[in-house]
Amino acid sequence: MQREKVYNMKNTIISIYRKVVRKLGLHNLALIVVLLVLIVAMTIRSPYFFTFANFEVIFSGFVLEAIMAIGMTFVILSGGIDLSVSSVLPLSAILVGFLLKQGMPIGIAILVTLVVAMLIGFFNAFLKIVLNVHPFIATLATMLTFRGLALAVSKGENLSGFPEIFTNIGQGYFLNIPFPIWIFVILIFSMGYLLKNHSYFQQVYFIGYNPHAALVSGMKVNRFFLFVFGFSSLLAGLAGILAAAQYGAAHNSYGIGSELKVITAVAIGGTSMVRGGTGSMFGTMLGITFMAILSNAFMMSGISTYWQDIVTGVMLLLAILLAESLKVKRSANITLEINPA
Amino acid sequence: MGSISIKTATEKKKNKRQSLLHTREASLIIVILIVIIAMSILKTEAFLSLNNFEAMFNGMVFDLFTAAGLTLALILWGIDLSVGSVLALTSVITAMALRAGVSIPISICLGLGTSVACGAINGYLISRFKIAPFIVTLAMYSIARGAAVVLTSGYYLSGLPDGFVALGRGTVLSVPIPVLAAVIILAALGILMKKHNFFHQMYFVGNNPKASELSGINTRAVIMTGYIISSLLAGVAAIFMSSRLAMGFSGFGLLAEQRAIAAAVIGGASFSGGEGSIQGAVLGVFLLALINNGFVLLNGSPNWQQAVSGIILLVAVGVDAYRSSKRRKG
Amino acid sequence: MVQNILEVNGINKAFSGNYVLKNVSFDIKEGEVHTLIGENGAGKSTLMKIIGGIYSKDSGTVVYDGANIDFTSPIEAMNNGISIVHQELSLAENISVAQNIFCHREPKNKMGFIQWEKLYQQANSIFEQMGVDIDPRQEAGNISVAQQQLVEIGKALSMNSRVIIMDEPTSSLSDKEVEYLYKIIKNLKKNNVAIVFISHKLKEVFEVSDRITVLRDGEIIDTMNTSDTTQEDIIHKMVGRHLDDLYPQKSKKIGEVILEVENLTSSGVFENINFNLKKGEILGMAGLVGAGRTEIARGMIGADPIDSGSITLNGKIVSIKNCRQAIAHGIGYVTEDRKLLGLFQTMSVRWNIVSASLKKYGTALGFIRNDSIDSSSKEFVSLMDIRPQNDELNVINLSGGNQQKALMAKWLCSNPSVLIVDEPTRGVDVGAKSHIHNYLRRLADQGIGVIVISSEQPEVLGLCDRVLVVSDGVITRELDNNSNDLTQEEIMKYATGKGL
Repeated sequence: MQREKVYNMKNTIISIYRKVVRKLGLHNLALIVVLLVLIVAMTIRSPYFFTFANFEVIFSGFVLEAIMAIGMTFVILSGGIDLSVSSVLPLSAILVGFLLKQGMPIGIAILVTLVVAMLIGFFNAFLKIVLNVHPFIATLATMLTFRGLALAVSKGENLSGFPEIFTNIGQGYFLNIPFPIWIFVILIFSMGYLLKNHSYFQQVYFIGYNPHAALVSGMKVNRFFLFVFGFSSLLAGLAGILAAAQYGAAHNSYGIGSELKVITAVAIGGTSMVRGGTGSMFGTMLGITFMAILSNAFMMSGISTYWQDIVTGVMLLLAILLAESLKVKRSANITLEINPA
Repeated sequence: MGSISIKTATEKKKNKRQSLLHTREASLIIVILIVIIAMSILKTEAFLSLNNFEAMFNGMVFDLFTAAGLTLALILWGIDLSVGSVLALTSVITAMALRAGVSIPISICLGLGTSVACGAINGYLISRFKIAPFIVTLAMYSIARGAAVVLTSGYYLSGLPDGFVALGRGTVLSVPIPVLAAVIILAALGILMKKHNFFHQMYFVGNNPKASELSGINTRAVIMTGYIISSLLAGVAAIFMSSRLAMGFSGFGLLAEQRAIAAAVIGGASFSGGEGSIQGAVLGVFLLALINNGFVLLNGSPNWQQAVSGIILLVAVGVDAYRSSKRRKG
Repeated sequence: MVQNILEVNGINKAFSGNYVLKNVSFDIKEGEVHTLIGENGAGKSTLMKIIGGIYSKDSGTVVYDGANIDFTSPIEAMNNGISIVHQELSLAENISVAQNIFCHREPKNKMGFIQWEKLYQQANSIFEQMGVDIDPRQEAGNISVAQQQLVEIGKALSMNSRVIIMDEPTSSLSDKEVEYLYKIIKNLKKNNVAIVFISHKLKEVFEVSDRITVLRDGEIIDTMNTSDTTQEDIIHKMVGRHLDDLYPQKSKKIGEVILEVENLTSSGVFENINFNLKKGEILGMAGLVGAGRTEIARGMIGADPIDSGSITLNGKIVSIKNCRQAIAHGIGYVTEDRKLLGLFQTMSVRWNIVSASLKKYGTALGFIRNDSIDSSSKEFVSLMDIRPQNDELNVINLSGGNQQKALMAKWLCSNPSVLIVDEPTRGVDVGAKSHIHNYLRRLADQGIGVIVISSEQPEVLGLCDRVLVVSDGVITRELDNNSNDLTQEEIMKYATGKGL
């Protein structure tokens, strides 16, 4: 009797496990476990960790990168990458700051800045679509160029003295939660929902996995790349605007190194850079949480944030290696293309 | 079908000379000459002074090493984004060793050993695990720089022995030692790339890795070597930079990748692999240094230097992409 | 009276002057299973791609459902009811089966959001039509290859296809899965869907089709009801041609064994390959595309890992773990994919020729001996008659035939004692073809062992002294020039299965 009970329990546990893996994906499940272990460990070390106030600090410290990670998820899912986000951020901060100081109404200043950011994204897409430049090269070049432009335009000076209504966006609270975090939460949930349920966004899984087959099936692949890169830059622009609002100042050094953090967050979340069409916004959410906690841990312990750079780099490599090994080799229907003539 | 023509030795040499005029190096030399002439006319005294040329050569010597390294990575159909960070880390390790009283030769070995280690890690991850070079070297870019800062907390490491400083500041027959070293090392590397089997194989591997495997080339060894040399060259640059400026600093080599990539691509290396040369990279560095010099002498705002540099890279990238697609069409 | 759903009349198609289809006419009736059969290069693939909108025809008409059509893209053909289920599946593995079926045509509400329940319902009803039981909610990457194929068929049905072209549908299926596919096809027929079945597996063709059309060298030979014909008849029609190409004389003297392959196995790819190669002979490996011959060769030279087996060269067992060792032991492999795997397209002919022998052209310290390379390169250019003779030209500028000659030159330069050539004259003009054949015979006469992998029966028969027929990863037959069984029919018999 006892043995039967144990046997039944074992079976139900296994079937629950299978259901969960099916729903979430093995990678996400592993990540959740790691996160839980991490949170538990941190809480044991210091009970203060598991408080609302602390989590607010944790996410506030990573909210700009988190917003950019949303756009980056789309880019990497589509089979590309966008290094230029770390330069669009300071450029947008400086632009919105400049416009505000010229007396432009806040709404219009923000709109103009977002449009400019989006145009930069279109330029990245243009390089890929028309000139056939690989996204990493294209966005590396634009990253370097626009950071230089940010320096040139701002003359290296700190831009400050913004209207209070504006800085409120970055520093204000709603229901005890900072506005930027609200913006992030709204964005990630809505984009996550769209990605999972909207026909246009679901295309990314087809296009990322097999762009040629997607093209043959009638999907407008090039137009989609325009959207993907434009959106990534748009969010980087938003991050820049929030940075200017948060700090009440805009400087060309904002965002240095953020592209690595953003890419790592997305990679940890399971969105693969090896082959497009793999990943999810939920995974990115987990990856962001992981990076945010890590980032905060470094700050709290007083270890140089440059340790974070080291660890981020190592984690990126590990994330890629692990993600590849977790993935069971699926039916690789790759046959040698045989030319007819 | 083509006509049957038997080329005599002299005819072949003539053809080679003709095609030489069409090479990338020739075009670069022409452009360089144009810039020199233009600058000589526009800012005669400022440009054509010994001080100016000295400053220019001294400034660009480090870029010579990193551009050469980048050329190797590009030839291998990859990229090395970590050269600036490896430079910084090497500088820091060497300085730390020197300050701890380690002898100069051994300190240099430790420093160069660090760069070799970084290059080996890059090469291994790329060749064995087949992770994209830009991801691997992007990660190393962050790791190496981070390590450099962590080790020094951002402070300069000064108080280096005179013997070491002499390396960077001394001259031999009034040629600065670093320049001499660059000439010797890069000339040797250039010759090896052209005339030595193992190094020349990099062109095959970058052109078509699968065909290289089938042809019996040890692609893994070739790729490892390429990335190790790239990092090693950055390390050599670090030694000279640290000795000339008499300090180890984690902030060395910032934006070095940008200049190195631009110089390499201008010099003929391509993102699609299998192309490029050391001599081209040297000319590319020279051209960029001239442009920079011109920029400064013409009172260009220093704030625009990086932007201009970035735009040059963008143009180089665009042109390379265009040429690559033409090349693939035959 | 069952209507014709598709009629093809007088189709001609040429690629760069080479005629691939000549005056092809046939028809497909509603709800029938019509097999298109023929050897490799017969034109089946081209014909199917013209019907499916991937290629355009040079002349002729295609009449679909009574109307003249001229589809300019595959999506146009699909929207009108003609779908192709390709051999290479192209599902997106990380999204659901249902979405793969509808592929961006999912049922959505006004705002564009996918109506999931409706989607799964529709997917289920398609599967019901087919008589299949696959959970449409699961990720497409989690189902077997056989099931993925069924999803592709479901995709065709979801577009209300009246004609589904299946290209070698059973190539990756087990026997049980093939039986299952037959059932599905029966269900499709019930729904009045016509199926064009492209296959070379005669057993299956006879099990499932109503009519069979034989293509040979771009021309329709015959169309018959399956019940009115036999497997021998089909084989005869597939290969019956006059061998009027002149081939070099067969070997006069065959010597001792120089190569022995024993029990070579790579699980799932090829099994227990045993054969030997004698001095002076040209050994052929015949079979159909996908039989595993290239994989066997790659396993022999260390390009792919093998599970077990040994290779003996001149009496000594050799260990070949990678291509370097293979070349060092004197085994050369001329790949079938000269463009992507064989040649360095944007490098010169000169460098390509020495690319497999680089060590030979280096001094003790490894410095390149350019003079040696120059003379070797010249030597091989003239030996293989590569045109134009300028060896500084990039290979990409050469014609197909000359590229193949350059590839051969590359491997000859490596001084092999055994040379394996994989599809040596594919995409090569008549003149170059003849040259390559003569050269291969010369090589054999000089004592170099030559193995020719070819899917071109005339070439195999004309050139080889002995032929191994490979089918599905095993050697099914060995045929000899001396006995009278080295015929196209015999080869085809054993290439399409383990004998009739």
